[in-house]
Amino acid sequence: MMGGVYALIAVGLTLIFGVMNVVNFAHGEFVMLGMVLTYLLHHYLGWDPGVSILFVIPIMLGVGALIQKTLISRVIGKPDEAQILLTLALSVLLANAVLLFMGPDYLTVKTPYKLSVVALGPIVFLVPRLIAFIVGLTFSWVLWLFLNRTNLGKGLRAVAEKPEVATLMGINPKRMHWLAFGIGISLAAGAGSVLTPFFYTFPSVGGMFVLIAFVVVVLGGMGNIPGAILGALVIGITESLTAQFLALDLAMLGVFVIFVLVLVFKPSGILGKGKLY
Amino acid sequence: MGRNDPNRASWKRYAPLILAAIVILVPLAVPSRYILRTLVNIFFFAALGCAWNIIGGYAGQLSLGHAAFLAMGAYPTALLLLNLNIPPWLGFIPGVVLASIVAYLLGHLVFRLRGPYLALSTLAFAEILRILLLHFRNQTSGSLGVTIPFKGTSVWKLQFASEQPYYYICLGLLGFCLYVTHRIHNSKMGYYLQAIKENQDAAENLGINLSGNKVKALMMSAALTAMMGGFYVAYFYYIDPDSVAGMDLSIKILLVAIIGGVGTVWGPVVGACILVSLTEISNYLFGGGRAGASLVIYAIILMIVVLFSPRGLIALLPGGLRSYRSE
Repeated sequence: MMGGVYALIAVGLTLIFGVMNVVNFAHGEFVMLGMVLTYLLHHYLGWDPGVSILFVIPIMLGVGALIQKTLISRVIGKPDEAQILLTLALSVLLANAVLLFMGPDYLTVKTPYKLSVVALGPIVFLVPRLIAFIVGLTFSWVLWLFLNRTNLGKGLRAVAEKPEVATLMGINPKRMHWLAFGIGISLAAGAGSVLTPFFYTFPSVGGMFVLIAFVVVVLGGMGNIPGAILGALVIGITESLTAQFLALDLAMLGVFVIFVLVLVFKPSGILGKGKLY
Repeated sequence: MGRNDPNRASWKRYAPLILAAIVILVPLAVPSRYILRTLVNIFFFAALGCAWNIIGGYAGQLSLGHAAFLAMGAYPTALLLLNLNIPPWLGFIPGVVLASIVAYLLGHLVFRLRGPYLALSTLAFAEILRILLLHFRNQTSGSLGVTIPFKGTSVWKLQFASEQPYYYICLGLLGFCLYVTHRIHNSKMGYYLQAIKENQDAAENLGINLSGNKVKALMMSAALTAMMGGFYVAYFYYIDPDSVAGMDLSIKILLVAIIGGVGTVWGPVVGACILVSLTEISNYLFGGGRAGASLVIYAIILMIVVLFSPRGLIALLPGGLRSYRSE
């Protein structure tokens, strides 16, 4: 059931890679920021995560554009190392800034439907997980529609494919970069929002999700959105199967082993590389 | 060209000797245990940064999983000491051998990858090891970690009540790491690695064996890191998967080398001095409870280094640029 959430985190990551050719090592920290924002809105204003997500996404869209403008744009086209290290620094900065202000405690968002379940035939689902799954897949699908059906989305794809030609067509690649980074991280933060009802919120939670998101993105092919969605479902299933049949604490092991195998034998991913649509 | 530069001032030839004399005499002149501990920490991270530098700095192959090699040195040392009473100065050897073998296999597996893919696979490699260490709790006692009991001063088991012996051991290990990197820096292999870093395809066309050199560099780097893992056990008396195989440590190792100066012999020493003293200052200012403070500062320094001084802070020191082979 985590597959939907992973999909939402991963499509953002793959969008950023596809359009800007930057691997965002700080992606997990934006999931964490989404969780923290949702927690704060719940704690101080009593908002349900379902309402908060409508605020978290636009806020993070702005934050993303700002970060892109001030930081990331400086390393576009630079060597891989500079990009990796800059986003890595951003991730350490965000995680520890939150640690500094919020403390290391595990926070929870209590919702009335926290423990309610629905049965679909023989399988029983926890409601918050089901909601997260559906929201995750829906948002990923909306992103895909946006890229394929709107002019703005087509502009993004154009920049991803051939930046020079896109510029000749009157598309401003800089603006598309802001948009891509903003959308990418706001989706990650949105995933954070839907996670809060059933997942602890703490400053270093991002590290867990960023690794999974990388696995998913590599599995689906870097920059490939349908690939990311498919990869997310595969990883979600692998994780629960390993937990079920091997051992609970080895759940992530299966995921990483798949990751290394894909990297070594088919680094372009199961659906191939470089298609945003 | 730094090596045969005739303009090299003569005082620079003696500066290392003077520095060495000061460093050797410090423990005799400074009674403060706290200062000695801080210095040992500096040496420790400088040595790790040095080891990382061989593969990450000279060859430019960014590894985000070096903590795994430290754990490979630390766990065998600790378990041998605890179960079979084998002293750390012998017990670290299996760890070094293990780390070299794993580095050999890992290198052949991942070095066809480049850039972000390589960084990610090393990250995943360290995570796999951490999860395995947590899982096999019968052997490693899982997340509880392994504690080495202190049974009084014993030269045989490298257990000392005072700080001075550790100071000299760690200094010696750092010296060894510096010696190895210095040798590599001025060897054929050093030039090969530099060429690989600048442009892999061009290097291959010139007839440089890409994977052979990269694997060799990784093996050396892993062996030195595992050696420091052995020292970690002797010095801290306690290891657990999160602290010796976790991502935080991997990042700290890489920070030391990158902030100091990648691909230089002395860069990691500069980096370690800065990072360890910063940790101490921020612990003093904000108290240990505000653990995030020092890492926030590191992250900001790293951003500044990446954006404005990609060659590290050593390049800002007077004469620092000379330590680069090619300008």
